[in-house]
Amino acid sequence: MEKREVVAEVEDLVKSFGSRTILKGVTLQIFKGETFVIMGGSGCGKSTLLRHIIGNLKPSSGRVVLLGQDITDLYDEDLDVMRKKIGMSFQSSALFDSMNVADNVSLPLREHTKLDKSVIDIIVKMKLELVGLRGFEDLMPSELSGGMRKRVGLARAIAMDPEIVFYDEPTAGLDPIVASVIGELIMDLSKKLSITSVVVTHDMKSVMMIADRVAMLYEGKVLEVGTPEEIKMSKNGIVQQFINGDHDGPIKFFQQKDDYLEKLIQ
Amino acid sequence: MNIKSDNKNGISIVRVEGNIDISTSPDFKKHFKKIIGDKVGTVVINLEKVDYMDSSGLATLVEIYKNMRKYDGTIRLVKLSDKVKGLFEITKLDKLFKIFDDEALALDN
Repeated sequence: MEKREVVAEVEDLVKSFGSRTILKGVTLQIFKGETFVIMGGSGCGKSTLLRHIIGNLKPSSGRVVLLGQDITDLYDEDLDVMRKKIGMSFQSSALFDSMNVADNVSLPLREHTKLDKSVIDIIVKMKLELVGLRGFEDLMPSELSGGMRKRVGLARAIAMDPEIVFYDEPTAGLDPIVASVIGELIMDLSKKLSITSVVVTHDMKSVMMIADRVAMLYEGKVLEVGTPEEIKMSKNGIVQQFINGDHDGPIKFFQQKDDYLEKLIQ
Repeated sequence: MNIKSDNKNGISIVRVEGNIDISTSPDFKKHFKKIIGDKVGTVVINLEKVDYMDSSGLATLVEIYKNMRKYDGTIRLVKLSDKVKGLFEITKLDKLFKIFDDEALALDN
């Protein structure tokens, strides 16, 4: 079997905030060119995991290797060099409301390169064409729909020609049709630009649509990793409950540390 | 990145070696300053030895073409690697530039 190039690797990652342990020994590998989805319910630690992979958080223990470099103990400038090679699309789009579309997309190029404005303007047009927003350069974020804002965020994420793009809940807050358009766009960009995509989501429809491989995260641990088909066929009750959206099952939605009635009369 | 220039019958031939990316595309652009200043009508750019070109490289080519168009100048590109050709197709620049498989053909055209 052909050995695949690993572009991101997480090894026995543990993260605690005070007495709460969010990630409890996560290990996974992400291969070059694939669309890897980290799925799981709200609060399972998936966004925390993503923030470790891009170096925004430091683990309590364990290791993160990104594009061949151990970033676990990297800080400041060294980490910035690494971050120029990745793109990030945030849940909220994270556009600057005071800047028009073109300025939002060109921001990383203006910050991190010495390219002339005339060249940057052409790059912006090329990126907006890729996300289907050519001609929208002068609009302000407040004039855009939620789906369009996401697409501007995507154009900005790919502005520097990253090797990996990370998407945090790319379809959150979008109606099913727009969510499907964004899903298709992620697939399209990954294929056309040969980008590795890492997507964090709880949207099952997106998972099945865009993923080459999926990791199911539950209570800070990876339960299963596989293709969408393999995940669908999983015999794990937690995985089945999650993908079917069942109310009843092993996943508990209420977490109490102490006895309610006892607490009331204390 | 290494650039060598040549002239043949009033046509400028620019042969590029190495990657045209964020760190090299400003130098790539600089190389065309004199060509554009002299209003050279036809420039053949041989990209046979360019393995990789990023968006800044593509945008710089478009910028050079934009400036040449002001005096009706044209660019002919030669020998794009499959990877670079793919980028031209994605960005639809294959429809903007004349692309040739061979330098002699580009010169004859």
